[in-house]
Amino acid sequence: MIRVAAVGDVHFGEDSAGTLQPHLPEVADCSDLLVLAGDLTRCGSADEAAVLAKELDGLPLPVFAVLGNHDYHHDESEAITGVLEQAGIRVLEGDAEVVTVGGKRVGVAGIKGFGGGFAGACGSDFGEPEMKAFVRHTKATAARLEEALTSLDTDVRICVLHYSPVAETLRGERLEIYPFLGSYLLAEAVDRAGADIVFHGHAHGGSEKGVTPGGVRVRNVAQPVIGAAFKAYCLGDDGHEEC
Amino acid sequence: MAEALATDPRVSLLGIDVTIRSNEVFLSGDVGTRQRKDAVAEVVGEMLPGYTIHNDTSAEELTPGIETEHLS
Repeated sequence: MIRVAAVGDVHFGEDSAGTLQPHLPEVADCSDLLVLAGDLTRCGSADEAAVLAKELDGLPLPVFAVLGNHDYHHDESEAITGVLEQAGIRVLEGDAEVVTVGGKRVGVAGIKGFGGGFAGACGSDFGEPEMKAFVRHTKATAARLEEALTSLDTDVRICVLHYSPVAETLRGERLEIYPFLGSYLLAEAVDRAGADIVFHGHAHGGSEKGVTPGGVRVRNVAQPVIGAAFKAYCLGDDGHEEC
Repeated sequence: MAEALATDPRVSLLGIDVTIRSNEVFLSGDVGTRQRKDAVAEVVGEMLPGYTIHNDTSAEELTPGIETEHLS
């Protein structure tokens, strides 16, 4: 039984200190690891990331994160990654890491992801250089995600994204913006490699629960969607076991 | 307007709906915090002085506690 606390889109600004701390003792009690599904900062500054890093300081769990689109806005994504990694938060961008929980090897693979849309209503690798670049970026992202997941020879595989791999967890958002919220290519990568669960953020107006075409559960953990500071997910053999 | 709300550091949010009718502005969408709700009105007010702003953006408090979903 593996207990994962998750949240995305905390959008930490320099005035956000203290907003997560009241919930951290409960996170530590009910979870074996914490995943953060992107949009960690409000405007994409390393100063904002430092506030988040300080907020999570001392949490006695492994913490894994991916960046989101906001975290790239001021071209400080490398500095943000540096600040978070220095605080012990493992930032994943097309890579994976393994931790041991209760004798089980748990692998976490993550990448921000990108858009493009979903089957039947998606962009194509065709036309102007800008359009091809857009779609090819998602293709390359999906390929790196598949490689990262495949590399995990573990009992449990957890996938963390910012963009959504399925349209189901976007329900509630305007249809016109689905192509900017995720891509079916990410789900294809997950299904080819295999995973036990996918967490993502980005779609504040979406729905929590979905599943890839290959049957992998997807959870939109954007904070406005889960309506709480964090949510916990208990991955076990017996669904009746208490976490 | 949407771009201004996304790029202004006081707000820095995508996904806020802005509807303009005559000299009224209707705002909706989740903005997370009370401060950001006020900031949205401030930014829109600066861009559209003289307009009446109906700020229906939501800044709901997070529910306390951590809910757990069991996945077999």
